Amino acid sequence: MLAMTTALAEFPSLVALSPQTLEATGLSLSRGGLRLVERLDLALAPSGALLLVGPNGTGKTTLLRALAGLVRPDAGAVAIGDQPAGQVAADTLGWLGHADGLKPNETLRHALRFWADMHGTPRTAILPLMRVMGIEALIDRPAGQLSRGQQRRAGLVRVALANRPLWLLDEPAGPLDGAGRDRLAELVAWHRSRGGGVIAATHQTLDWPGAAMLDLGMYR
Amino acid sequence: MSRLGAVFAREARLAWSGGGGPAGPAAFFLAAITLAPLAIGPSPELLAAAGPGLMGFAALLSVLQSAERLYGDDFSDGTLDLYALSPMGLSLLCLAKTLGQGIATLWPLPVIALLGGLMYGVPLQPSMMLAAALAAAIPALVLLAGFAGALAAGVRRSGLLIALIAAPMMVPVLIFAAGAGRAGFEGDERALANLVLTLAVSLGAIALAPFGIAAAVKSRLG
Repeated sequence: MLAMTTALAEFPSLVALSPQTLEATGLSLSRGGLRLVERLDLALAPSGALLLVGPNGTGKTTLLRALAGLVRPDAGAVAIGDQPAGQVAADTLGWLGHADGLKPNETLRHALRFWADMHGTPRTAILPLMRVMGIEALIDRPAGQLSRGQQRRAGLVRVALANRPLWLLDEPAGPLDGAGRDRLAELVAWHRSRGGGVIAATHQTLDWPGAAMLDLGMYR
Repeated sequence: MSRLGAVFAREARLAWSGGGGPAGPAAFFLAAITLAPLAIGPSPELLAAAGPGLMGFAALLSVLQSAERLYGDDFSDGTLDLYALSPMGLSLLCLAKTLGQGIATLWPLPVIALLGGLMYGVPLQPSMMLAAALAAAIPALVLLAGFAGALAAGVRRSGLLIALIAAPMMVPVLIFAAGAGRAGFEGDERALANLVLTLAVSLGAIALAPFGIAAAVKSRLG
């Protein structure tokens, strides 16, 4: 019965996405003087999914931050559509970093309302998305009282609320349990069905249909 | 405009629910102006003369004391990434954020300064002048503290760095704000000029500091 409700999860109807491509060319990145990525090319088409894998310290997080325009690459460029990522990132990206961006004393209701308002998404989308991630009962809990996995789920709800065509997720499944990973897969499938693209750095095996894989360990 | 309001309201709310809101700076300010007479001595003339300057100085220190939280927490919990990627311009967002937190935490300072002035034997009118000058100084003080806080976000012992960066930049605000109270006490007509100059510095800070804060945030994230 539980599996049934998950399978029939109802997603809110949001304003249609305008699908975007993301393309990185000749990207070289370093951190603390150590070269992590050398002349990397990658491309993501609408509805596409790309998983960044590789051992710790191979630059998955740095690459994601560079794709978001938060880190300036040593060489190369990132383009979203036909514009430089730095200029359009704010209007095209949904970002989930290694931290969830939650405030320990803020309830999920307040936090998610704020982010919905910031992105011009109707607040009525909050509850359905929380239901999809299975945390609707926690809406009046301060984030500091939630477990790591619950916080991650809340972070994913925030990403979905932004209603942006490109999702960049750093270890989205890190603290999630099996059911949580299934819900994440469903959320991602919904996003891709709307023409959205996803790039995720991960250590878990994520069973997303048709997802491409990029092993950063090979670029060392 | 509604986004600006949303950031302002959220930051004010977080400042209240997060670390006791105005209690920290108010307690620091109160402690400083209560202890100072014990060090200066009981002479009423001396206390009344020193009062306005002392209170301007104590207010500056209590702003610095709470500056570490302005950007440090947002840096470590990932909020700053999200703000940098939000559809609102980062400079405008930093302005709303800093003022929202600053006003929510620092509003008691002018009130305490008014009562403190009376306590020190400063007559009512100069005390009110001092309170008004402090209220006018708060935007400048908090934006300068925010600039230093953004530069030091995520740095260990950032409190030290913030004090070193912000204190010299706060000098004009201190001179004008305390000067307004002092001139008021001495019956000097320059009190009003000092108050207006304090306001001018605050307006200047509102116009310029957000760009500095946004640049500092970007460089800290990169």
